[in-house]
Amino acid sequence: MNFNEFQNQSRLYVIGALEPEELEEFEKARKKFGKKAEDFITKCYALHEAFALSLRPAKASTAIKDRLMSMVKAKHQA
Amino acid sequence: MKPSKLVASTRPKPKKRVRLAKSGARSQPVLPQLEPGAPSDFDLMKGIQRGDPDALSQLYDRYNGILKALILRVIHNEAEADDLLQEIFMEIWNQAKNFSAQKGKPLGWMVTLARRRAIDGLRKKQAYARAEERLQNETEQQPDAWVHNATEEEIELSDTRRLIRKVIKSLPPPQQQAIDLAFFRGMSQREIAAKTNTPLGTVKTRLELGLKKIYDGLKELKDEL
Repeated sequence: MNFNEFQNQSRLYVIGALEPEELEEFEKARKKFGKKAEDFITKCYALHEAFALSLRPAKASTAIKDRLMSMVKAKHQA
Repeated sequence: MKPSKLVASTRPKPKKRVRLAKSGARSQPVLPQLEPGAPSDFDLMKGIQRGDPDALSQLYDRYNGILKALILRVIHNEAEADDLLQEIFMEIWNQAKNFSAQKGKPLGWMVTLARRRAIDGLRKKQAYARAEERLQNETEQQPDAWVHNATEEEIELSDTRRLIRKVIKSLPPPQQQAIDLAFFRGMSQREIAAKTNTPLGTVKTRLELGLKKIYDGLKELKDEL
């Protein structure tokens, strides 16, 4: 796998769309390209943010935050 | 509770402006501007790592809408989405020690975590079948799942969403659909091929081309994302 192919696979990898047989090859290439590969994969995670930001924010129930903070504070004080 | 330690450790970097040379639109901020002196996302993550509940509270206020939208997009159930949102922020609190600024930005980390939890939830619950049915209906009514018809909704969209959706909407509908099923449904290439009655190789090509176009299109925004 050359680096160009690795880049294509990386974008599939970060969204979890690699098939098991592709994953094996991908991991080999990941080792082969080392830091360059890791840096590229990190950049690909921007896709996650982009997809999330493409959605219109939804309103969460106010009770959710109250429950969450109660749990967190209880855990924090324990 | 102790007073919050969360004051901005450093003044947040002024947000860069996005160039929109092709559209001719004026430059606009990609993400909402923080109030002067407000802690950055990294400050808040550090606060959570120190065990400061106020940091989590602020992070929740900043991103609950985005994460809820993501969860809702996956599981299509308001009550379940709220429950999952709470669990996800609890996980953010519990797992904050695993966040590393070198691996990316807090929002990316949270979105990755939320997506994984939402897809897990979708798979575990019997609601999968119901959601599938809803998805089927939506797909039939609206083949391009990212494209909304409501003009008013478009007006309400923030600059960020408008820019990102512009990139996404520029893709051919089959590429959008493949990415939608992979990202928001957690489907494998084989599952997408079966669902859309498309050869596996075609699905792979659609995903590769679509993701590359989005990735390239986001280059203008890369400092912000």
